[in-house]
Amino acid sequence: MKNLRLKSARAAMDLSQQQLADAVGVSRQTINAIEKGDYNPTIKLCIAICRTLGKTLDDLFWE
Amino acid sequence: MGAEERIGIAVGLTVGLALGLLVLAALFRKKILDFTFDERQERARGVAFKYGFFTLMGSVFVYGASELAVGRWCDALTGGCLCIAVGTVVFAITCILKDAYLGLRERPRLVMTMFVLLSLVNLGLGAVQAANGNLVEDGILTFRVINLVVGAITLVILIIYIVNFLLYRREEEAE
Repeated sequence: MKNLRLKSARAAMDLSQQQLADAVGVSRQTINAIEKGDYNPTIKLCIAICRTLGKTLDDLFWE
Repeated sequence: MGAEERIGIAVGLTVGLALGLLVLAALFRKKILDFTFDERQERARGVAFKYGFFTLMGSVFVYGASELAVGRWCDALTGGCLCIAVGTVVFAITCILKDAYLGLRERPRLVMTMFVLLSLVNLGLGAVQAANGNLVEDGILTFRVINLVVGAITLVILIIYIVNFLLYRREEEAE
């Protein structure tokens, strides 16, 4: 299932996939895979993404 | 093949391997090669490694069975290298398709340029051996074919990488 909340939170901060990827220390393809719902990230990566985007785990990853 | 020639070949292979390892170490030191991957890539590489390993096992079995069936058709080193090559190609292609071939800090253009050089040099050396008629001796494929094998696998990896890159780019532009 696509993670549209992550995509919109990233877009709201005017960050590209590459910029978010660099900020959390992963590849751009990994961010793309998370947004497309192709990859289920670990809690560690979820937290890193939330911190970068200023959101909570509930905001971005809770169903 | 005389004893002297055999020793010469063994020494040549050992020196070649040592030089190869030195070049690899230098590339790692200069950060041209860097095996730092993120969690998705590590996972994908684990799956790729599994596929490569089982392919290697399968190809060793097929190689052994083929020798039983048709008799000796290549020397042991060549047979081993062919099996490793098949396993390596499966590993590399799986990694490429899962976007986990290059590390986070590796520069694709630089690494692919290296692959082009590696492929050209090995295919060139293989072509010279083929032109001199050294690839087959007494109906048996000799280890001199290894240059062609290395050249071919680097070329295959290069082509798959470029095709995958172009397809992904098109997909991203469409998004």
